[in-house]
Amino acid sequence: MLRLDLTILVPHLGFLARGALLTAQVCVLSLIGSVLIGVAVALARTASKPWIRRVAFVYVDLFRNIPFIVQLFFFYYGLPEIGLYLDAFTTGVIALSIAGGAYASDVLRAGILAIDNGVLEAAEVSGLPRRVIFRRIVLPIALRTSVRPLGSVLINMILTSSILSTITLNELTGQAKIVASDTFRPFEVYVVLLVVYAALTYLVSIGIALLHRALNRDLQPQVA
Amino acid sequence: MRFSEFTPYDLVLLAQGLGVTLGLFLVTSLIGAAVGATFAVIRFYRVPVLVPAITFVCEILKNSPVLVQLFLVFFGFPSLLHLNVTPVQAAVMTLSANTAAFVYVIAVSAIESIGRDQIEAGRVFGLTRWQVLRHVIAPQAEAFAIGPLTALLVNQLQVTSLISVIGVMDLAKIGATLNMRTLKPFVVWTVVGILYYLAAKLFAALGARFEERLRAHNAFRGL
Repeated sequence: MLRLDLTILVPHLGFLARGALLTAQVCVLSLIGSVLIGVAVALARTASKPWIRRVAFVYVDLFRNIPFIVQLFFFYYGLPEIGLYLDAFTTGVIALSIAGGAYASDVLRAGILAIDNGVLEAAEVSGLPRRVIFRRIVLPIALRTSVRPLGSVLINMILTSSILSTITLNELTGQAKIVASDTFRPFEVYVVLLVVYAALTYLVSIGIALLHRALNRDLQPQVA
Repeated sequence: MRFSEFTPYDLVLLAQGLGVTLGLFLVTSLIGAAVGATFAVIRFYRVPVLVPAITFVCEILKNSPVLVQLFLVFFGFPSLLHLNVTPVQAAVMTLSANTAAFVYVIAVSAIESIGRDQIEAGRVFGLTRWQVLRHVIAPQAEAFAIGPLTALLVNQLQVTSLISVIGVMDLAKIGATLNMRTLKPFVVWTVVGILYYLAAKLFAALGARFEERLRAHNAFRGL
């Protein structure tokens, strides 16, 4: 007997929307965190001293090759052990930032390496100190050209944030789990959730493509 | 639990968990690769209704969390169809479908990377579409696809850790069990993390060697 009735979800829409809001908050905070970490690590990975490059590479390699759920449990169960009592939200944002930072640093590193050498030489010849060159010239160009790949990091982050439901953080997936067990209609709940996530990431990718194009207008090939 | 210290038997447990993880990874990778490649062939033949349907399903699978897909298969399907799904069955179905969606994209772009002129030349020589696919496109597409495919599989190995959430006794679940018993999260999750890391590195190295072999025919030989 097949029964597919989506109307049973209507009374729970507000509840789910609150979860979606929490997902959005987590993702925005983690995106900021991972871009900050990513900038620092990308800088280290393009440093002139080999040992700094190596340390940064070890970080990226480790956090990209260990499953996020293992990293999350490491922080969630480990931090209280060293006397740091953080709630699930903070732990989740920290874990997502660190994992996302590894991916963001790869993107930014590519952005930095793609900068024309002539630009850097011009800055050096003008007598700008290295700090200023990095802050005012390298970083703006690298950030601007890596908007689109950073967007893929964000989309991955939105999908990965569903894993935070395993540490009792009731974001979109966590709320949906509650609704599924309240209504005894898991199929409807999860089908809708699947489509919502797909639509959400689709909209985000469109927004990023537009932003990327707006920021890099002058780099577009001239069309007569 | 009275025994809260680590015991030698924990090593056996970890080995078991690693075995379950690697076993499920290999099985779902093989099924996923076969299904994904079949979808790409269907696209190559431009089968009318099937192609848009496959593309739509793959887009949904690629753009939604694997955890939600797992919940849909493990909790949703049984309640809709009134059948029993064990955690392992749900894990195999979900991971295979997910891998297939990504393999499909890689396989399609690999097929499209072969110039049309080669296909047309093959057809002019009287080869059927299947013969062109089998003898002209496949050998080149393989070499093209192996790099992205390795990256995908290394990623899918990490994705398998999610099946611990629906109760499959894989490496992550063993880690959770040991964590609950010994209350030593740093040790447990570090060991589990290292095991995943080594497995990922192993597959990356295997993929790189395989790629070298497939590309050997057009490698630069030196002057």
